[in-house]
This record gives sequence, C-alpha cells and structure tokens, in this order.
Amino acid sequence: MTDTVQQAMSLMAIALPAMFAVILLFMGATALLHKTFPVKEEKAAQD
Amino acid sequence: MDELLVGIVNLSWKHVAMWVVAGILIYLAIRHDYEPLLLLPIGFGAILTNIPFSSAVGHEGFLTRLLEIGIYSELFPVLIFIAIGAMCDFSPLIRRPIAMLFGAAAQFGIFATIVIAAMLGFNLKQAAAIGIIGAADGPTTIYVATRFAQDLLGPLSVAAYSYMALVPIIQPPVIKLLTTKEERLIRMEYEEQEPVSKTTLVLFPIMITLIAGIIAPISVALIGSLMFGNLIKVSGVVERLSQSAQNELANLVTLLLGITIGSTMSAEKFLVVEVGIVLGLGLVAFIFDTAGGVLFAKAVNLVVKKRINPMIGACGISAFPMSGRVVAKMALAEDPTNFIIMHAIGVNVAGQVCSVVAGGVVLALVK
Repeated sequence: MTDTVQQAMSLMAIALPAMFAVILLFMGATALLHKTFPVKEEKAAQD
Repeated sequence: MDELLVGIVNLSWKHVAMWVVAGILIYLAIRHDYEPLLLLPIGFGAILTNIPFSSAVGHEGFLTRLLEIGIYSELFPVLIFIAIGAMCDFSPLIRRPIAMLFGAAAQFGIFATIVIAAMLGFNLKQAAAIGIIGAADGPTTIYVATRFAQDLLGPLSVAAYSYMALVPIIQPPVIKLLTTKEERLIRMEYEEQEPVSKTTLVLFPIMITLIAGIIAPISVALIGSLMFGNLIKVSGVVERLSQSAQNELANLVTLLLGITIGSTMSAEKFLVVEVGIVLGLGLVAFIFDTAGGVLFAKAVNLVVKKRINPMIGACGISAFPMSGRVVAKMALAEDPTNFIIMHAIGVNVAGQVCSVVAGGVVLALVK
C-alpha cells in the first residue's frame, strides 16, 4: 500500500466522523433555534 | 498569405476531437436539457480554446484573463454560492434537522472515491479534488479543484455537472439494487410541523456560518457565501439584493463560469488517459454517494419504530432538486398513492448543506 493510499484512508477515517460531528452540532443548534423562537411568540410580539 | 493559413496548417486531429467533445456537451444541453446553463457555455468555451492560435486564450486572451480573475481567485464559485444561497429555502431542514444525517451519509462517495483515486495513482490533492465530484455540487467541485488540482479543473467540472444532470439515470438502478420492493413501498406519514419563525430563519445562516467557521476557518468562504446569500433572502429587508443575487448575479456568473471552465479543456490537457479515469471516478463517487445514503437509511430503520423509506437516503447527495424528484417519482412508480416528495426534498436540501460541509472538511484536512 502506497503512502498516498494510506493518507487517503486516514483522511476517510478522520473526515467522515468529523463531518458527522459537525452535522450533529448543526442539528442540535438548529433544533434549539427552532424551539427557542417559535412562530407563536413572534406573532404575539408583533401584535 | 501564410498568416491566413496558420489555423489550417496547425490544425490537428486532437483539435477536431475536442470539437466533437464540445459538440456532445452542446448537444446534451440543447437536445436533452442536461444542465444547459453550464454545459452549453462549457462546450462553446472548449471550441474557442481548441482553435489553433485562438485569440480567446493565451497570455492576452479574454478567457485566460477570466480564468485568472474569476476561477483561480475563487471569485466565481463564491459568487455562485451567494446566488444559490439566495435561492435556497432552508425551512424544511429547520423543521426536520434529522434530515441532515442522511445528507451526511450521502457524502460517503466523496471519501470512498478519494481512496480509490489514490489507489489509481493520483496524489492526495488530486484524489481529494476528484472525490469532491461526489459532493454533486458544481461550485464546491470547482472551488476545491482550484485549490488542489488546477490541471484537472476542466474534466472535474464537466464530470460534476454532467453526472448531476444524469442523476435520473445513475440513481434508480443503485437504489433498486440496494432496496427490496417492500422497502420501496414504505409510506412516510406527514406530521403537522410547526412553521419556522422569521427570527429562526434569520439566525440559521448566521449560526451555521459561525459554527462552521470556528471549526474549519478554511470553509468560511464556501459556507459563508452560501449563508450570506440566504440571509439577504430571509431578512426580507433587501429584496432588491435578493432578487439580484437570484437572477442577475446567478445568470452573469454562470455565463462567465461555464465559458471559462470550457477554456481549460484544451486538447493537450483533455485528451489524456487521466481525464478518462477522472470521469469514471466521478461516476463512482455518485454511485457510492447514493449507496451511502440508502444504506444509512436502512440502518436507521433497524433502530426506529416508524420506518422510513430508505430511498430518501439517496436524496442526500445534493443535486437539488433533481435527486428529490427522482426518488419521489420512484416511490410513485411503486405505488401511485405513496407521496414522499416532502421528505425527499427535505433530505435533498440537507444534502446541499452537507456537501458544502464535506467540501470544507476536505479543505481543512488535506494539506
């Protein structure tokens, strides 16, 4: 196995979990945002 | 007299072969409506660059100037991202953030292809640029190619845009191979979901930019420009800018981007074995992406009570909205009363964000 192939495999081993971790962070933050600022409260504030 | 014959005298079979390649791209764009906004200008750009002693390319050629100013400087992809951001509606994603997991799974093809490309002898940067075709996102492919493999910019772009157009042909057989008829018939209920508030819509692009930027500063240009475009749309206070980004900016940059990419397809660079391999690997990336998304959805079904139709996993490859439509049509073909379009489009939108994140991760990790 060449160095490049090893590097590519290491990249996959690190990048895939890293990407999922970032996405999980996005998911959590998005859910929190959606919960924190519901439409009802926004409408009530406007009224 | 010699000056008038210089073109004919220097014409080679390679130039003519490239005219044929360009003709195929233009034919696909016009006759079959395959990504015409990009393939048409790319095709014509390839013709302009493959005329011996063409004044369009070279030190003083306008296409070479555009290449330096717009592509190598990364300006065009970033401007396109602003335009795409202004066209995006992230509401389905905000209502159902879990869709992002499918989007992430469907980026598997990027990393699998990087390994395969490395096995075939490409260096790591070239392999990374080839793998990014699997992001199914033209500007991301161009952006990463500009950083990692400028020599392969032409074939990488052609592969990315061609395979995006070919999603209706590439994805269905892969999906059918990996799913049973029973799985394809799974119905997904529509739960009444709370609409998204304007505050959330405004904070979402800012939040995503900050998180992505702090984790991988190198991804800020990509994600930041996408989210900036979205912010001007959802803010509701700069309607003129939003409309300009969606129309004038998108059209103008697309026009220049396509013809400039075409100018990188000179015969000497394009008619080599390496390009054939790149085009093949692009297809591999799309296949692995689709497989990754579908298999992830099947794995999720092992642990959840309400089963999901595993076909929606395939929509995570980005290629918006083509992939979502393809999967929704497949579900309807199996059962004309099974409507999964909303779920499919939600995952498809998630795929757009995830493909940019994947591009950012690759940029951050490949040195």
